[in-house]
Amino acid sequence: MVIRRAGVDLTAGNGLQELSSNDPGGAKTLPFVRPEGDLESLMVRYQDGDFAAATALIDRLSPQLHRFLNAQFTSRADADDLLQETWLHIHKVRHTYRPSEPVLPWFYAIARYVRTDHYRKSIRIAARERRLEDMSKIPATGAGEPDQADSWQALLAPLPESQREVIEMLKVAGMSLEEVARATSSSLGSVKQRVHRAYKKLRETMDATGLKKRSGGWS
Amino acid sequence: MKDKEIDDLLKTAARPSHEVEAVSLQRVAASLQSSMRPVHPLPPTWVLTGALALLCAAVALLGAGRAGFDGFEKMDLMQRALIFATLGVLTCLSGIWFAHEMIPGSRRWLSPGAVLGLTVLALLGVFALLFRDYHVSHFVSAGTKCLITGVIHAIPAGLLSWLVLRRGFAVNSVSAGLAAGALAGLAGVGVLELHCVNFQAIHVLVWHTAVIPVSGASGALVAWALRFRVGHGSHERTVSE
Repeated sequence: MVIRRAGVDLTAGNGLQELSSNDPGGAKTLPFVRPEGDLESLMVRYQDGDFAAATALIDRLSPQLHRFLNAQFTSRADADDLLQETWLHIHKVRHTYRPSEPVLPWFYAIARYVRTDHYRKSIRIAARERRLEDMSKIPATGAGEPDQADSWQALLAPLPESQREVIEMLKVAGMSLEEVARATSSSLGSVKQRVHRAYKKLRETMDATGLKKRSGGWS
Repeated sequence: MKDKEIDDLLKTAARPSHEVEAVSLQRVAASLQSSMRPVHPLPPTWVLTGALALLCAAVALLGAGRAGFDGFEKMDLMQRALIFATLGVLTCLSGIWFAHEMIPGSRRWLSPGAVLGLTVLALLGVFALLFRDYHVSHFVSAGTKCLITGVIHAIPAGLLSWLVLRRGFAVNSVSAGLAAGALAGLAGVGVLELHCVNFQAIHVLVWHTAVIPVSGASGALVAWALRFRVGHGSHERTVSE
């Protein structure tokens, strides 16, 4: 996807190139190269009131934030709303980012807050709707069906939320363990433990379902 | 299946780029445009921590100034040095903790519960080392009086601390409330150490130290209630709309 805003090609040489599939980095390899400094400079310009920098950040980060927000039980329409809400929060508290700090954990910490808040609200609404249903016996309407889960979501489906979000940040956003710890307000040890447990769970699930590597792909 | 194979599988599944409709991105950008103006970033953590520590020291000194510095006068040099140095260090550490809670994406070394526990343990250790009078008299009546005095002085410290960090944004408000409460509790303990002349070990160990968990729990409770109220309010608005 090539995005062009404010006269700047935001993908060419700016961090959305995929690495080759045989990258030998093991667990530390990233799906994307992302020059953190570039995002940081955009963020500083955004704090200075530069609208072009804000739109560049929106274009650059929205796909991965949307993917993060589009959790297993969230519909795409909900994820769109959550993305909008996340950016409104980001805009409101943009002064809390400090230029010397890594920028992605800051964004993800706010996205995580919005997602958690949405989850809490949806639980309250569901409880209220159940009560109303009990009273009036009118079936609930308007709730969108979750989108067809893509292969990523299907792969992470067996994991609890705390482990899934860590894997998402590591593999989709390409964050380091330290950055994930910052984004999730956890200690580094806690993140390592979650990754270890997630891999263990995935290994068990894949062994149980007989998922094997074929030549050149997975089945 | 090996970790490397799982890693390859995750990389393969993560690779397809996730598309967001251009109209959604334009809508987001348009919603920010009207309020686009320069903002000043928050000051560095050491500035915020320094401000919080000075504020707590000021509350403790003002509180003791009103009630009297009787406890400080009764202490020997070693007690004064160790207790107030410990309180100073713990106040700075709690200030860093609170500042980090109010800045998204900050580094975290320990969980909030662990920080609170270590703070209490450090104080217990210093008190146990310095106070050797094991007599017990008026344990509950004298103790509750000290606890109430400490918590009452923690309230202004907590409110002023929040004022210092009011521009911050807590992604976990309960944890931030706990940090603010613990920091304010240290100011309350400061007042007690300056004022209280009851040097019975069990009194100091139980009632003076208890100010911190009580104040921390109160901060967390207030934050939880505010979050619930805000969340409930927005839900009510959504329903009425």
